[in-house]
Amino acid sequence: MQPIYSPGDSPLHRLHPLTKLAIAGLILAATYLVPGALTPLALFFVTLILTIVGGVARSILSTVFKLLLPVTLSLFLIQGILFPPAGATLLPWSLGPIRLTYEGLLFAYLISARLLVLSTTILLVLRTTHPADLVFALTSRGLPRSIGYILLVSLQIVPDMTARATAILEAQRSRGLETQRGLSKVRAIVPLLGPLVVGALVDVEERAMALESRAYTAPGPKTSLRELVDTAGQRIARWLVLLGIAALIAGRVFLALQ
Amino acid sequence: MNTPRRSGLNSTALALIPLAIAINIAGGQLVKTLRLPIYLDSIGTVLTGALLGPWIGLITGILSNGIWTLIGLDQFAWSFAAVAGAIGLLAGFAGRLGVFQRPSPRWLSAIIGGVFLFALTLFVMFFIYPLHGTPGDYENSLAPNNPNYATGVLVHGDPTFEKAYIFPGDPGYDEGSPLLAQAADVIASQPLIFLIAAIVGAALGYAVLQNAGYAGLAGLLTGVAAAVVSAPIAAYVFGGVTGSGTDALVAAFRASGANILASAFAQGTVSDPFDKMTSFMVVYLIIQSLPRRLLQRFPNAQAALESTPVTRAATSR
Repeated sequence: MQPIYSPGDSPLHRLHPLTKLAIAGLILAATYLVPGALTPLALFFVTLILTIVGGVARSILSTVFKLLLPVTLSLFLIQGILFPPAGATLLPWSLGPIRLTYEGLLFAYLISARLLVLSTTILLVLRTTHPADLVFALTSRGLPRSIGYILLVSLQIVPDMTARATAILEAQRSRGLETQRGLSKVRAIVPLLGPLVVGALVDVEERAMALESRAYTAPGPKTSLRELVDTAGQRIARWLVLLGIAALIAGRVFLALQ
Repeated sequence: MNTPRRSGLNSTALALIPLAIAINIAGGQLVKTLRLPIYLDSIGTVLTGALLGPWIGLITGILSNGIWTLIGLDQFAWSFAAVAGAIGLLAGFAGRLGVFQRPSPRWLSAIIGGVFLFALTLFVMFFIYPLHGTPGDYENSLAPNNPNYATGVLVHGDPTFEKAYIFPGDPGYDEGSPLLAQAADVIASQPLIFLIAAIVGAALGYAVLQNAGYAGLAGLLTGVAAAVVSAPIAAYVFGGVTGSGTDALVAAFRASGANILASAFAQGTVSDPFDKMTSFMVVYLIIQSLPRRLLQRFPNAQAALESTPVTRAATSR
């Protein structure tokens, strides 16, 4: 699994991280707040266009479809076929012995489509924003620096741990660890996870000392190496987006009260 | 100059928490690809709670689920952040009690295993066995001409319901906890299954849990708490379906006639205690294999170290 951020020079890459977060928030709010069965699909196409603009369409789409396939299948099986909602209207035709219901299929479709938009939007923001920039933007707006640091390291640690795990797997295999047959996969967990975890824990001490030697936890303002470009246009756009989200919420509440 | 040691999110915590989150995500993703009905996504949280205390365990759990969703690998994790926080909190308290430092006698692990499997079997039987009334009442209540067929729930006023549950004032009602009476009924009707469950549980406890008995017990209790917190979330936000291996369990419980909340809770009670017991056991093994010098850095483990008499030879590691 490659690191999440892919460097590039598209218009999306050049936007301020908070602008991207705001747009993502608007798209997500619209997915969940705007009524209508076709809304998630329409928003997915909007997000798709954005991914093409950002130049990350292919990788995002392949990841998203791989992630969503098991969920959609489960939803379809359980909500659509096995346990449809009470009082559901049956569809006029049937697939052999299986009767499908309109409400069950609708429920499964809605949740899957919303998840599609959610995943694509999140991956879009993460792929076009350098983690350090994202965290710097958040901490300069009030996120506690410790949480920001944890977020930053967590975003980058997964490929690192995966590489470690692969090395340990190959090392143990070369010592004769059986991992192909079914039952041995369970027995192989301890010889694989043990060295991984203990090795990483021993590293924790070194990391803590590295942080201390850079005075990371000392109080007071810090000077940052990275600078973010923020134009007045983007600031106005962010305020408009926030107004848009508020309007969506208000509209939804208004509709619900009717 | 005496620099006071910062409690809370000091540099050790900052270094450990991302590692714990990575362990959580790795374990969770592995189990998701294997489609097992467990989670294994809290090993890091339990470890952080055990080493750094309840509050940092709480933060780790919440952050871990949030970041798992932010990375885009699990779209549902953020809604279960409260569950993960609770697990970290309880793991921290368990760590303070020294649960991860004290080896337990193996017969205790056997007892814990036996009791756990027995209780689990009892719980599952409650769902698939009629509680009162004659055999066929429960199945008849699920017949297609019954208006409650689609939901599979027995409601007041349904004549089958009145026969299934005996209320105070009815002839045949005896004082005392009806639940215990019904449990005794269920056990008496299938004694062999329960006996086998107890024996198998005891054998597994002795062989697998070994000396991690106290940790395993703490894990079981944490698992029950986790099931209680996660069932409403799973039922009301997702309709019980999250696309993981546990969906098969939810479907099975739905097939026995329970509604979504009860199915989600039942699935939680089947998966969570076992899963948390395993996680606590793994963390016990990890802490046992860490060099003592390293354990000194962690305040929560240190407190337990001081209260444990040194029974091992003082060899340098």
